[in-house]
Amino acid sequence: MKKTKNTLMAFLACIAAFVLIATSAFAAGVGKDGTIVAKKGKATTIAELVAMYDSTGCIDCHEDTHDEWANSAHARSVYGTGRTAATMKTALENGVLSWAYSGAESPEDVEVEHLMGCAKCHLPQLADATDAVAKEFIADIYALMDAYRNDDEEKFDDMKDTLLSLNINCLVCHNRMAITHKWTDGYPQDGTVYGSSDGEHEDEAYPHTKVSPIMSESIFCGQCHGLGPNFELDNPTQCATAYGSYLWAYTAEGGTETCQECHMEKSGLGHDMQSYRSKVMSDAAVDFEVEAYGAKWRDGRLVTPKAIVKVKMTNRTGHAIPDG
Amino acid sequence: MPMPQKMGRGDEMGRGPYEKSGIINDTGLPPGKTVEEHFEIPFYTEDVTDDNDRVIERKLMDNTLELNVKLWYLPYGNKQSDPFIWQEYTQTITVSE
Ligand code: HEC
Ligand code: HEC
Ligand code: HEC
Ligand code: HEC
Ligand code: HEC
Repeated sequence: MKKTKNTLMAFLACIAAFVLIATSAFAAGVGKDGTIVAKKGKATTIAELVAMYDSTGCIDCHEDTHDEWANSAHARSVYGTGRTAATMKTALENGVLSWAYSGAESPEDVEVEHLMGCAKCHLPQLADATDAVAKEFIADIYALMDAYRNDDEEKFDDMKDTLLSLNINCLVCHNRMAITHKWTDGYPQDGTVYGSSDGEHEDEAYPHTKVSPIMSESIFCGQCHGLGPNFELDNPTQCATAYGSYLWAYTAEGGTETCQECHMEKSGLGHDMQSYRSKVMSDAAVDFEVEAYGAKWRDGRLVTPKAIVKVKMTNRTGHAIPDG
Repeated sequence: MPMPQKMGRGDEMGRGPYEKSGIINDTGLPPGKTVEEHFEIPFYTEDVTDDNDRVIERKLMDNTLELNVKLWYLPYGNKQSDPFIWQEYTQTITVSE
């Protein structure tokens, strides 16, 4: 009897040892334990998620950059113009909750995974939160839409502010998304902002700067600007496809400029990355040429005068327009 | 705009980002390519008919025509949501009297 027990204990110890080995020696990704989420632990509330990537401190020293960014769509990547938040609700109701095999029947069942089909690009840091945050997020979107319907301005503004606090901010780009090839270049580390040089950084919470090999490359923007169906999801979705168009219809046909060159440098807009709503962008987008003259068409005895109009349009951007 | 395929199958378009997968057609402008459109717009005329209702003459009522070409940008594919006039061209066209 005693012997069996000992053997069992030894067996259990063996499993424990194996589990230990499995997590240390065989886990993919060296340096994954140094990322912001690994250091701070998964966020369990929206407030914690906002705090995890809090970029308000950057304003002190990078005010101009902040002001440019604040005017861009990245600063309201889940609220959008209101349309994005509304579409998230539709996506949930007509999508996730209506699908037989999604595993969610009501908003309370929603988990992070159900939202990554949108959050992958609109709020990538949601992957660093627990399912409680997914439920809180959905509850807030419902509360926003209800407040809108009931003309409850105070509640609406409250929910709008919460959703606006979730966005693609300085640290999302200059840390979380700054490295695409993590096995080649390493995992983005807490305490470091990624840019164009290795060195010290005056910010106490982020005392280091490191080179991001992709910050000035189109692939950096491509992470969120879409190729087509996102196959890594159990139920693929597709929203933006500008990066796919850029690769196969622009660079493959000889185009050489990067997203950053057109959107940040030539436009003079810096971090205020814009579409046609900004005049510099809409002016740069299409060559439009019209040639028109009058002529008299004859058919038998009848003369029909008409204007002959030839319109030529050339898209001068780096992708098909409009996108989406 | 791109006409995305619903769930990557069949001939139906998907509209919500949760059901779009694939592209069936694109009515937008491809990068770097010149797209040409040709229009023929009749001047204002009135037809004169004979007793048998046959058109025997087409009378030009005005030999000038105000041409106004607008390039509309319809980010959501219709004029109800955020339509935007991108480029506009006007010209007075004439034909001999
Ligand atoms: C106390 C001031 C201060 C704060 C706070 C601060 N920065 Fe900086 N940062 C600087 C200075 C100074 C430089 C170097 C000069 C420059 O490039 O503007 C710099 C450079 C950078 C660079 C370029 C690094 C490189 O590789 O050359 C990035 C990116 C950056 N900061 C991002 C941030 C972000 C993100 C935050 C907030 C989390 C932040 N900074 C907060 C002062 C600050
Ligand atoms: C592959 C990344 C990606 C995914 C996945 C994604 N989006 Fe988007 N979405 C974008 C980008 C980038 C834009 C803005 C640029 C554009 O229109 O090309 C955008 C634009 C939008 C817009 C239009 C915003 C406006 O006001 O014009 C809505 C609405 C939207 N997304 C909702 C969703 C929802 C809901 C989901 C999930 C079902 C989703 N998106 C999934 C990247 C994505
Ligand atoms: C959507 C992604 C994105 C966001 C959000 C963003 N940046 Fe940047 N930032 C970039 C890119 C891309 C570049 C590099 C541009 C280039 O190389 O052409 C850059 C460049 C910079 C630089 C110059 C870096 C250098 O290498 O010298 C600083 C400083 C900077 N950003 C600070 C900030 C701050 C502060 C914020 C928040 C207010 C912010 N950025 C938000 C993408 C972003
Ligand atoms: C972390 C994901 C992410 C990254 C990285 C990113 N974007 Fe975006 N971008 C978005 C999302 C999401 C939106 C749309 C937000 C909304 O309105 O709902 C957007 C909106 C835009 C828009 C405005 C589109 C419109 O219809 O008004 C432009 C332009 C843009 N991004 C350019 C860039 C460029 C250039 C880069 C690279 C320097 C970049 N983005 C990097 C996610 C990203
Ligand atoms: C050759 C210059 C050029 C390059 C390269 C370029 N863009 Fe653009 N882009 C523009 C101009 C100009 C517009 C304004 C036209 C518009 O909004 O439709 C624009 C518009 C956009 C829009 C809004 C599209 C819409 O539906 O109106 C997004 C999103 C965008 N670009 C993202 C990107 C990303 C991401 C890249 C790189 C993968 C990129 N752009 C590369 C010039 C460029």
